[in-house]
Amino acid sequence: MGFLSPYRVLDLTNERGLLAGKLFADLGADVIQIEPVGGSRARCVGPFVEDGPGGGRSLYWEAYACNKRGITCNLDCKEGQDLFRQLCLSADFLFESEVPGTMEHRGLSYKTLHEINPRLIYTTITPFGSHGPKALYAESEIIVWAAGTALYGNRDGDRPPLRVSVPQAYLHAAADAAGGALIAHFARLRTDQGQHVEISAQESVGQATLSGILGAAVGDLSYERLAQGPRPTNVIDQSGSGSILRRSKWIVKDGYLEMHLTMGPSVGKFTNNLLAWLREEGAIDEALADIDWIRLPQLLQSKDVSFDQVERTYAAVAVFLRRYTKTELMTIAMKRKLLLAPIATTADLGESPHLAERAFWLDVEDSTGRKQRLPGPFAHTTSDAFAFRRAAPRLGEHNHAVYAELAGISEEVFRELKRQGVIS
Amino acid sequence: MSDLPLSDLKVVDLSWVVAGPVIGRALADYGARVVRVESGTRVETARVVGPFHGGKTGVENSALYGNVNAGKLGLALDLSVESAREVVRDLVRWADVLIEAFTPGVMTRWGLDYEALRQIKPDLIMLSTSLMGGTGPYSSFAGYGNVGAAMAGFQNIIGWPDRPPHGPFGPYTDYVGPRFSLVILLAALDHRRRAGQGCMIDLSQAEAGIHFLAPQMADYFTQGRVTERLGNRDPHMAPHGIYPCRDREDGLVSWIALAVRDDAEWRRLAAIIDGEELARDPRFATLADRLHDVEQLDDIVGAWTQTLTSQEIEVMLQAAGIPAHTVATSGDALVDPQLAFLGHFIELDHPLHGKTVVERSRYQLSDTPAETTRVAPTIGRDNAYVLREILGYDDEHIAALETSGVLK
Repeated sequence: MGFLSPYRVLDLTNERGLLAGKLFADLGADVIQIEPVGGSRARCVGPFVEDGPGGGRSLYWEAYACNKRGITCNLDCKEGQDLFRQLCLSADFLFESEVPGTMEHRGLSYKTLHEINPRLIYTTITPFGSHGPKALYAESEIIVWAAGTALYGNRDGDRPPLRVSVPQAYLHAAADAAGGALIAHFARLRTDQGQHVEISAQESVGQATLSGILGAAVGDLSYERLAQGPRPTNVIDQSGSGSILRRSKWIVKDGYLEMHLTMGPSVGKFTNNLLAWLREEGAIDEALADIDWIRLPQLLQSKDVSFDQVERTYAAVAVFLRRYTKTELMTIAMKRKLLLAPIATTADLGESPHLAERAFWLDVEDSTGRKQRLPGPFAHTTSDAFAFRRAAPRLGEHNHAVYAELAGISEEVFRELKRQGVIS
Repeated sequence: MSDLPLSDLKVVDLSWVVAGPVIGRALADYGARVVRVESGTRVETARVVGPFHGGKTGVENSALYGNVNAGKLGLALDLSVESAREVVRDLVRWADVLIEAFTPGVMTRWGLDYEALRQIKPDLIMLSTSLMGGTGPYSSFAGYGNVGAAMAGFQNIIGWPDRPPHGPFGPYTDYVGPRFSLVILLAALDHRRRAGQGCMIDLSQAEAGIHFLAPQMADYFTQGRVTERLGNRDPHMAPHGIYPCRDREDGLVSWIALAVRDDAEWRRLAAIIDGEELARDPRFATLADRLHDVEQLDDIVGAWTQTLTSQEIEVMLQAAGIPAHTVATSGDALVDPQLAFLGHFIELDHPLHGKTVVERSRYQLSDTPAETTRVAPTIGRDNAYVLREILGYDDEHIAALETSGVLK
């Protein structure tokens, strides 16, 4: 079943939008992923498993096409376009992420499809927008991040700003597409009319600036100042996360730890708790352990405590933490009320007892018996919200079933379409 | 307002900072009546995080708070007091949806957990968004955004391979979580419409974040490969990264983002940098060649980009069909012709600042576009309206609450 079980979705997206349909599929909708006869571009996005003839199997595809049915259709020929229009008759939602103008060129624009199915909610994901001066900009993931202002403030000292090492921008946009389509669904419940929903990835990633994107508009360039030079030193940073000081990474026995040495009235107690532990273990000079980090901002200002003492505290903590593993520190943190977190690798996540207990992982098996483990339900609910049915489809895996069911295609016509290269 | 898709929807928003409030902002944009409850004495974090109007710290100055709470009604309540929680219960009786983001256990302690609330509102949809989720050994693990990003695997994969991890800007899972929250909340509302049943939704921001690493998790599970940080390099593109440019007129440091997707793009870029000789240089002919000599390649590109402004490079390379974009500042965004074309920045009247600016809705609906017309509440701005008009309290009742000091 699942919350969205009554609905059918046609998913034309490539790597820029697969996640939108995936969210619908996980919530129970019948999502039909439509690929070109030669296969989706998303099948060329890594990481890959090198286990088959002719190269790798894309785990990007397997992760984000999971739970969908898969068919092929050549939308660049008239027969394919006609066939696709037939599928549209019974669809509730459509997602697409083609280069702007492509769908118009095929005669499959929102306007055209709205005429044959006025209830269809047609959602378009683009890098910059379907129209406008940058609509046809040459782009890729890092370009969208840069344009959305989500890079500028994230600089590590002397080097240029940093992106996430794996693709993210279009995932933000695709998740927005799912949300936007559902809002349009509520409009449809009132009017019985579908509409066109558009998502610009440039706008989506602006969210990753913590509203830093609004800085110039309100006259505050703190976000930009973060990037102007080496890391600040001798700074009084009363935030919980150390966002100004940015000195929160520690080397521990088996990796890294995230912990800001917090100070001030609301968060200073966490550092006091930490230093109490060091004192018990004889790992810090008494004089340093005596410093009250709740009052530290005033003590630094009045010069009752020097930044040199703060430096020596940092040094003592750094030496001390190397004795412990991430898991040990996690356990101690919960007991002693320390504000820290292990910096998880994907291996740590895969082995996490917390995620295991929450039954977060989903094991799927494809039609050839190949097993795959993936992130599963993205929430816990008291009603049956999710429906997990299948692994990502092989190319054209559900052609027969879907074309017979939705377009009434006979075996004979099916063979003819195949011969013409309209489907595979 | 009555034509908006969600104009029948009533929401109590007890959440704070970013991951929770973003959800209610989206609902309010499309007509929902959202009552944002907050304490004016224990001021919520978003109000003390910038950017601030005029760069001046102050609980009514935060553009972050303004951005994620625009369109909501504001009720100031001290939830540590039972009579304030009685007001929340009345709001729940009125509402369809309750959103909260306290550390797991807090709502239960207050008698405001789902089991208690559904006694008074059987078809309530309650969305709890927390760092690690409401169950499991780490459920009580609280912390700020840096903690969520660490626990969800992002800190480790943002940074240079030869340095410790650097991590994302700000609380990365707060950018991911609300997107999943909005989807499941709307799906739950549709389910309620059909089945007449409410529900409790427990959403972990870390788990939502891990969905953005699903391929990397599959990589670990299928072949034990652990994702490493790569700086700004990419296994399938070279050159690929952020390169320094000539200083800007405003004095800020400046970079260009650049990605070469195939060999033909490289030849075009090389020809622009250094003429045909570089374009034909066999050291860089194929992606494999370029990845092999990537340090040298980056040096050549970086030496060239430093001689120009990022704007000059963007124009030149885009004209040649090569992906390039200025690493935009907020000032660049404000004059970005594409964002201007889309109307990304919305100016709203503000009672204290005259004007303020928020981002527009991230979903563009052709027939029922968002209406973002009212600024986020100053603390307690709508107390009278909420208590009188929505809850129907009489003067005596309101006066009693005021006297007891819970309306702040």
